[in-house]
Amino acid sequence: MALPKHLQNGLTPDELTFLAEEETIDIVPLFSMTRVRLLSGIYGPFQPPSAAKVPLWLALSLKRKRKCRIVPPEWLGMERLQNLLKEERETAESFCSLPRRFIEVSKVLLDIASDDLMQPSLLRSLLKDLREVRQAKIRIGLQSEGVMRGSYLQVTNLTPLELSEMKPFLVKAMGIMQSLEPRRDEDDEDDDIGNGDGIDYGS
Amino acid sequence: MEDDYFSLNAILADNHKLSCSFTLDVEGLGYLEGGTENNIHQHSKVELPFWLAQTLSLNEFTTFPLPPPYSNRVKAALKASAQSVKLSNLVGGNGWWYRWGRRIADVLDDVPQADLLNTLLKAFVNRLPALQDLSAHHASADHTLPESSTSTGEAFRDGMEGDERELFAVGQESGKMARSWYDGSSSRKGGR
Repeated sequence: MALPKHLQNGLTPDELTFLAEEETIDIVPLFSMTRVRLLSGIYGPFQPPSAAKVPLWLALSLKRKRKCRIVPPEWLGMERLQNLLKEERETAESFCSLPRRFIEVSKVLLDIASDDLMQPSLLRSLLKDLREVRQAKIRIGLQSEGVMRGSYLQVTNLTPLELSEMKPFLVKAMGIMQSLEPRRDEDDEDDDIGNGDGIDYGS
Repeated sequence: MEDDYFSLNAILADNHKLSCSFTLDVEGLGYLEGGTENNIHQHSKVELPFWLAQTLSLNEFTTFPLPPPYSNRVKAALKASAQSVKLSNLVGGNGWWYRWGRRIADVLDDVPQADLLNTLLKAFVNRLPALQDLSAHHASADHTLPESSTSTGEAFRDGMEGDERELFAVGQESGKMARSWYDGSSSRKGGR
């Protein structure tokens, strides 16, 4: 393949962030303007005290120019995150369901618009804790019996970003395991071995 | 671990030497033994690369015992503690323990074949957690600090065979990429 090796395994975190910036978010503009027609849709009108819905990339761009205030999504609040963290810690077997672009959106908002968030440093540490709890679960999951015997790993509710981190290693490891499976009786099985089917990429 | 025709690793793994004994006299091929004799005699032992040994064995010109890297002694050691067996020592510095074992299994009959594959699979599965920990650790480790090379992880690292080393590199690479994303700041890149 012509792609450089580090891009062959799927999307990189940077690419996922790029995709996440298509999500819409509420802003309170600090300027007045009529509706604006962009390729992805029509946004506006922008009238200072009232909020407007725009894609995240536009919001970030305006924020950098100090032309708006970003209204953080409802899940990016202290209480909500504390509850999530608690829930994540209590359910040992599975992952909690997060918004699909949870990690990416929370990161760019904390990086660029931290002054619009309540207690950004606390949010940061909560997010870090949440990430660590989930990472620990992934690690345990990789070493669980399910992976070892049945050649599958439970990845329900993992976000694409978390998957992208473990996917290359996992796919290769499972490919090796599959090629080492004892042959079954059917002769035609031999052709299929090593194709690495049997895990759900979860996209 | 594909057996792709163009896979260099598969070709190299086929090059491991296997000690075979001939079941019949062969005229004019004495140079394979390295001696001055012209013919190979029945029951004489010759070290052949696997790709040659495979064809000869399938045609029953040669037979071979299971080579030492897959002997019962190794099996017992793997059973006792798979993570502390140094696979790289068994098949030479750049060997492919799993690949070669799998190729040998292709030649074997049903029962020893299943037995060998099971040994390989169990060994891999039992070594996987250590491998994963190690690659995650190395992805996040601060490489500006001098490493303490006495830990068990480092001992395991020395014992990795070809495919495990590749897997380690893959895990380390993706871990590093994720880490640099988490640590980096999106504000520096400028907006669109």
